[in-house]
Amino acid sequence: MLTSFRTFASRAVPALVCLLTAAAALAQAPAAPPPWKQGISADQANSTLHPFAPHMTGRSSKDLPLDKLKVPAGFKVEVWAEGVPEARSLALGDKGTVFVSNRLAKNVYAVVDKGGTREVKTLLKGLNSPNGVAFSKGTLYVAERNRISRYDGIEASLDNPPEGKVVIDGLDPQNQPGHFWKFLAMGPDGKLYYNVGAPGNIVMPGYFQATISRVDPKSGVVETVAQGVRNSVGFDWNPQSKQLWFTEHGRDWLSEDSPSDELNVVKTKGQHFGYPFCHQGDTLDPEFGKNRDCKEFTPPVVKLGAHVAPLGMRFYNGKMFPAEYRNNIFIARHGSWNRTAKQGYDVVRVSFDAGGKPKMQPFLTGFLQDEKADPPMWGRPVDVLVMKDGAMLVSDDYNGIIYRISYGKK
Amino acid sequence: MAAALCFFAADAVSADEVPRKAEPCFVCHGPGGNSTIPTNPSLAGHPAQAIAMQLYQFREGNRKDPQMSPMASTLSNAEMNELAAYFSRQKPAAPSHKTAPENATAGPKLAQQFNCVQCHGPRLLGQQHIPRLAGQQHEYLLAQLRKFKAQTRADLDGNMTSAAQALTNRDVEVLADYLAGLSVQ
Repeated sequence: MLTSFRTFASRAVPALVCLLTAAAALAQAPAAPPPWKQGISADQANSTLHPFAPHMTGRSSKDLPLDKLKVPAGFKVEVWAEGVPEARSLALGDKGTVFVSNRLAKNVYAVVDKGGTREVKTLLKGLNSPNGVAFSKGTLYVAERNRISRYDGIEASLDNPPEGKVVIDGLDPQNQPGHFWKFLAMGPDGKLYYNVGAPGNIVMPGYFQATISRVDPKSGVVETVAQGVRNSVGFDWNPQSKQLWFTEHGRDWLSEDSPSDELNVVKTKGQHFGYPFCHQGDTLDPEFGKNRDCKEFTPPVVKLGAHVAPLGMRFYNGKMFPAEYRNNIFIARHGSWNRTAKQGYDVVRVSFDAGGKPKMQPFLTGFLQDEKADPPMWGRPVDVLVMKDGAMLVSDDYNGIIYRISYGKK
Repeated sequence: MAAALCFFAADAVSADEVPRKAEPCFVCHGPGGNSTIPTNPSLAGHPAQAIAMQLYQFREGNRKDPQMSPMASTLSNAEMNELAAYFSRQKPAAPSHKTAPENATAGPKLAQQFNCVQCHGPRLLGQQHIPRLAGQQHEYLLAQLRKFKAQTRADLDGNMTSAAQALTNRDVEVLADYLAGLSVQ
């Protein structure tokens, strides 16, 4: 108990902070709540809201109401591949292989296009929350909760992949209870970018937590790119400015409509985006925001909606969609659980007018059936990927299915 | 022995066709998934996703059991889905367990206090990936709650382990007695 008291006083170790914060929050039960309940207030204790679990064995598209899926006029959406259980982040190989990650499960899949059909190979097995996948110059990079590994020449050995070589280890030294899964992307600078989320819903993070960092795969040297980022599970570079844009999940158990989840841009390396002190650029946290001012932190460019869980995002750089879609941002919104009237479960398109004013509009909808039902949805987008022909893939971890959105005759 | 069980099973289960691969399950889990062996859970009437989830957990080695681990190891995802759909459609038998009167009063209070109803549903019939508790085998309920409390039973997201930490040994006994006798209507 003495250790706990010291930790409470210093707020140094997130895992124990989680325990103490829980003890303060829950009047009756002295034990730690699950990470998703951390930070719940006494008057919310009887809430029936809870996160959803994917169908870990996947579901067959023939059992799903695919006819409910909607895209704008001129576009078409169809099932591209199924039988990819808990399909999460997407990466594209030079030869057209689509790599698909897992978060709660342990595999990385390689989907090969055989013309009319797709062949799903279980490429890697038994990994530790391998949510991040990135492909660059023939190499597949995989970010597990604790390390990033590389698999060179992977597309020539999909049926017999090489052993991974570790790029960097020790990314999860405390086996943190929450937000330990990573998104991974190769930057224009040749460095691998990844997130380390806050270990709980609303806690003081350790110095390497609630950040986006990058590592040089040649030297293994890490740099902090952005701080005060509660958890980002999707980022990409603006093709024109080369700046890093990222989605971010706001805290839970504050209110139904606040704070919003965010779309942010890093203009200067090391910028602080507010967590845990200030949310959505203008809302001080009731606990951590005391004696702080939101002016100190970088606000979001776009508020994406409260609890919508934005995950993967890409700038559209293909030639298939109409010209006005070029360089727009497409964001997969996994969908809410911490809200009575559920929202999200779609892909949205963010565009900017000549003056830089953002506009967000729906792009792929139809997964949400009944905002008050439990569950409210039949599918949940996780990531988007622009293919060589300019079509867009969308992964759905709830069903283990990947959809393809195309425009025009293709 | 298996043939006799199959014959018996054909009388006892719902009219819809029994998938061949469900028949071995009856040996331990009872005809149609209504268990008559106190340590073995009933499967009838659980949400399909809950059954598929546990088969998945056994196959992936997240949850370990000397009988279930080998049984699940040969199942494909499609087979798990088929078994789960079948058992979810079976009618759960009325519980034969009789809850002690004091636990019939105390049980519902604990189910509210410890938020069981929050995930398992207001009548504890389960939903989505969360199993039915009402009318489940008494010994099985005791064993699982104790394992969650001892942190030796896997769960996908840590919820049950965390929930069980708050329970005293007495709470576990009261809850198991209450749940095992709870109507499944």
